Amino acid sequence: MLKKYAALAASLAMIAASAIATPASAQERTVKITGFGAKSGVVRVFGVNSEAALKAAAEEINKAGGVTLGDGAKAKITIEFLDDRCNAEEGISVVRRIASTDAFVAVGPTCSNVAESLFGILQKKVGDASDTGLQFPIIADVAAKGGLAKISEWSFRNVPSEFEMYKSLFAWLKTQHPDLKTIYGGVEKDFAHSNATFGVMKAQAEANGLKIAGQSEWLLADATFSTQVREMKRANPDIVAISAHPFTTCGVLKEMERQGVKPKLLIGLTSSSSIETLQGCAKQAEGIIIPTSFAPVTPEAKKAAEQVAKFGGSADLHSAAAYEIVYILKGVIESQKIMARPDTVAADRVKMREGLAALKETTGLLGKVGRTPDREAIKPFLFVHAKDGSWQVLYKPAS
Amino acid sequence: MDFYLGLLQIIGVHTLLGLSAYCVLLTGQVSLAQAGFFAVGAYVAGMLTVLAAWPLVPALAVAAIAGGAVACAVGFPALRVKGLMLVVATVAFGEAVRLFFFNFDYQVARGGIRIGPHGGEGFRQIRYFPEHGWSTLDVVLFVWSAVALVMAALWWMDRSRAGAVLRAVGEDELAAQSTGINVTAVKVSAMAIGGVIAGFGGGIFAHYTTHIEHVQFGVVLATFAIAYPILGGLSSVFGTPLAVIFIQGFLIEGLRFLGDWRNLLFGGLIVLAMNLRPRGLLDAGSTIALKRLFVRIKERAGAWPQRVD
Repeated sequence: MLKKYAALAASLAMIAASAIATPASAQERTVKITGFGAKSGVVRVFGVNSEAALKAAAEEINKAGGVTLGDGAKAKITIEFLDDRCNAEEGISVVRRIASTDAFVAVGPTCSNVAESLFGILQKKVGDASDTGLQFPIIADVAAKGGLAKISEWSFRNVPSEFEMYKSLFAWLKTQHPDLKTIYGGVEKDFAHSNATFGVMKAQAEANGLKIAGQSEWLLADATFSTQVREMKRANPDIVAISAHPFTTCGVLKEMERQGVKPKLLIGLTSSSSIETLQGCAKQAEGIIIPTSFAPVTPEAKKAAEQVAKFGGSADLHSAAAYEIVYILKGVIESQKIMARPDTVAADRVKMREGLAALKETTGLLGKVGRTPDREAIKPFLFVHAKDGSWQVLYKPAS
Repeated sequence: MDFYLGLLQIIGVHTLLGLSAYCVLLTGQVSLAQAGFFAVGAYVAGMLTVLAAWPLVPALAVAAIAGGAVACAVGFPALRVKGLMLVVATVAFGEAVRLFFFNFDYQVARGGIRIGPHGGEGFRQIRYFPEHGWSTLDVVLFVWSAVALVMAALWWMDRSRAGAVLRAVGEDELAAQSTGINVTAVKVSAMAIGGVIAGFGGGIFAHYTTHIEHVQFGVVLATFAIAYPILGGLSSVFGTPLAVIFIQGFLIEGLRFLGDWRNLLFGGLIVLAMNLRPRGLLDAGSTIALKRLFVRIKERAGAWPQRVD
């Protein structure tokens, strides 16, 4: 019997000794960053790409030693990604779920309509005791509709300014193609981003002397476009500008080919400068010009694109923003000395918000990214065009 | 905690939506117009609190009246059709309402910015709750007080002659008519009551999501509205919240951790639930069993010796 007790005591002693002998593993800290967005439905691919980009950046940072916390400890970054199905109610629920944990920041969402709702539930002005809105920082990677970050001082975005992009594009077209006089617009009317950007395109086209020859509208879930393209054909424009996501952009381009509509120039929506457009209709999209804030033209961008592909996604202007965000958050965690402990959650959230608000410039994959007082990004951009089944740089405006 | 309170808000508002369809279903009508009434309530209440700076309760009251009035107006022509044709007619109405708000633009300048419904881009900054110091718990209590009131009213109606009349029309319209029941009045009344509840629920919905737009009020929401009472069971008003908890609490929120698999399981689990409980989660048998249980508990409580000091 004594032998039995002795063996048991020895085993317990060994377990205790091994626990004491591995202080490094016991002390290893982690910082969880939660992303959220659409991982189902028509825009599912954006969520898939964002998750892959977040994971790719986190892995790079972890391989380089992780992030340094306020108490000097090193921590690894882990990524979790939640699906909000591009639904505002679910987006609010997801953010409340994240805010109920130790998280001090969240990255998302995909859809602008979700961003509008959940930025609305955040406290509008920091320190306003009469406003009971949620006090939790969120930084958006994809939701691209203009001016969303101004809804709350807790909301931030790392998305390009489409106003600047299309302003620059139309001004450049005026110098390059002075012979083109008319433009026809096509818009995916029921999607906040494409609808809002269409307004920007139209205004910039007119500002640069182009005459609007007409416009057609369709919905995100539409699959037939014969009527819209017939109207387009009747207008016989020099330029066709399509403000739609890859799925319906391809539908329209294929219908244009079927009806023999061949404008002298095609312009697309920023979100369509992705691999999905080329996978869906590379032949029909040949020549389409799109401004974008990402292309694998720098060593950093090429490396990021390879890393994102390893995690099952593709790098485009949206997922590249997610990739950059992880580095931005690392920088803020270190500069603001965020502790990432359960007892410092509220303070960490305030530090994160202040850190993000204080940023004047961040490092992006295409170069320096400016930050505006209303928490938006001024990202470098370039014009790409579809050529031989790939996106190729057409022109890089001087920043 | 905030997350669970937020979830309770969603369940509460969807319960109101489900109850609006419950009233109509009692008369044997299948209406997919509830999302339309819900949208009317959402926009009316939002415009009153944001543009006219009304307090919330009167705004919700007007939203409920607007929902009821529209439902009443829809009820009359819809009565001319039955069964599948009524489904088609109400879907068409719901889409007409959605497309109306898709094109509805009524913005006013205030403090250097323009506010109000802006067509396809929606209606943002309906921030009555946070701007008036309501905590998440306050909103939950408000929502569930409204749900309790509506459920109590429907429960009372179910037990009164009015409930019997509604069910009689639902069971056999011809037989009901032959006993002197004015079927037209009953059906329109049910539609109007459903519209009032949907309009009221829509008003609350607009205020907790802070941003509304046409896509939120499409066929999917209309399908959810009718699925709640059908899945919950029409024998009792308590079946609807049970179904909302099952769908919103378990299928949508509870299974979120499953990632992509959640959407695959969603439909499958609803089919499974309907197969296991073909007359609803809370069918007549369950209701009677629950009643007996309550009576037994009451009897036991009464049989216990009273303490005499």
